[in-house]
Amino acid sequence: MPPYVYAAAGFVCAAAALIISIALYHIRVKKTYASLNGLLDSAIAGTLTEEAFDESLHSALVSRFHGYLTASETAAGQVRAERARIKEIISDISHQTKTPISNILLYAELLSEQPLPGPAEGYVRALTTQTSKLRFLIESLVKMSRLESDVFVLAPCPSPLAPMFDRLQTQFTLPAESKGLTLTFEPTDICAVFDEKWTTEAIGNLLDNAIKYTEQGCVTVSAVIYEMFCRIQVADTGMGISEQELPRIFSRFHRSPDVRDEEGLGIGLYLAREIIAKEGGYIKAESVPGRGSVFSVYLPTNLSKP
Amino acid sequence: MTILQTHDLKKQYGSGETAVHALAGIDLSVEKGEFVAVVGTSGSGKSTLLHMLGGLDRPTSGSVTVDGRDIFSLKDEELTIFRRRKIGFVFQNYNLVPVLNVYENIVLPIQLDGRAIDKAHIDSIIETLGLQTKLSNLPNNLSGGQQQRVAIARALASKPAIILADEPTGNLDSRTSQDVLSLMKVSGQKYAQTIVMITHNEEIAQLADRIVRIEDGRIVSGRQTHTASASGSVSGGQTARRAGTAEERQV
Repeated sequence: MPPYVYAAAGFVCAAAALIISIALYHIRVKKTYASLNGLLDSAIAGTLTEEAFDESLHSALVSRFHGYLTASETAAGQVRAERARIKEIISDISHQTKTPISNILLYAELLSEQPLPGPAEGYVRALTTQTSKLRFLIESLVKMSRLESDVFVLAPCPSPLAPMFDRLQTQFTLPAESKGLTLTFEPTDICAVFDEKWTTEAIGNLLDNAIKYTEQGCVTVSAVIYEMFCRIQVADTGMGISEQELPRIFSRFHRSPDVRDEEGLGIGLYLAREIIAKEGGYIKAESVPGRGSVFSVYLPTNLSKP
Repeated sequence: MTILQTHDLKKQYGSGETAVHALAGIDLSVEKGEFVAVVGTSGSGKSTLLHMLGGLDRPTSGSVTVDGRDIFSLKDEELTIFRRRKIGFVFQNYNLVPVLNVYENIVLPIQLDGRAIDKAHIDSIIETLGLQTKLSNLPNNLSGGQQQRVAIARALASKPAIILADEPTGNLDSRTSQDVLSLMKVSGQKYAQTIVMITHNEEIAQLADRIVRIEDGRIVSGRQTHTASASGSVSGGQTARRAGTAEERQV
């Protein structure tokens, strides 16, 4: 056979060998990436363990990666622990101050029953009012810290809205009447998934505000049902909230400059929003300044883990 | 943390005398976890803006930065992949794949990316959106509201940096709209998901943390994040006011 045939055959063989080695290389690269992807997946899932200790590069990589994860997890853990400690301190302070405040109130009351010289009576009254305010603040702080630190777990369960409406009506009819406002609860047979005690607190806060910031007219509570949510609406005919203020009203300790003459701490709406969010719902506010505000609480109607 | 930022974003259609300035210099920033509604009448440029934010169309000038990346510095193919990983879309007409069932539609973006499916996350989304019993249905066997819920689930599934929703309730009746919006709001809260929603409906916009108003291609209000959502960044004026009220209370 002529030599060029051998040359051609040799060339073909070399080409074939090259193609095969390229193919093998690609398969290897793919495998490497697949194993790295697997590594990341297990890291994200928090199940990364150093399985094999050998001389392979893979093992070295897993080892270093594991070290990195441990270090960042430690740092994150420290931050978490620090935050938990601060929350604990706040909740401790709140708890420890509760009893002394109750005692001050009690003694102030006892004092007011004594015969007192002229101006002293006024002082005792001022003492009582200020202490009541302090007590309210501390109670709100306790609630807030409990909710935020998840000490208190809400237990939403399917229940009708009507009993809650009744309870709120009993609680708020007097304050509304004393301001000359009409408080109406529209009858409803809607059921939703909520924690009755805390939701009453949340809607109570909305009602409290509605009554506080309405000089004349009415406050109306009603409910509408949709397929997956129901909406509880607290509408008033009060001073309203300006558009710039509207997005801020739910933040902690926020006090609108328009109402700084009114009593308040800026906790009520924040608490209400936290409570409703923990139940898998949300709050929305709409308002026309000078004509009134509408606060809507949306609660899920189907049982699902919040 | 700012997740989305535009700088002097402009879009012009046509040229010369017939030129239309759909966007005339938009500066907008969105913080992580915010729910922002962009409101404007039709023709105000809000849809153009959303298309730019999502990298669906290129601007005439200006930049859009998503999760630290100037998206228009990417080549078309890179942009496609960036979009798939970082942006979840919810459209007015749902845009579900008709031949895939509900579950397949939800996990499609993850599978396209060749990623492993985070089953716990997907299950939680499915439950939140109330789709447990519909998983094997085809989209055309579902109501409009249900289809949109699937689209929301799909947008959430890949844990994107941001969800862009273009008139998500445009084709739905008002009762169903309420549910779809509630679910967007609740899932945004639950998964700390940043959402930018375009709507012409004021009422719908009210449930957002912030409303950005756009007119003739310009933002007329709501450019900045309110101090409320960016806790800690209280302006000096407000601090002074707060101190004032504290004093008054003591009196």
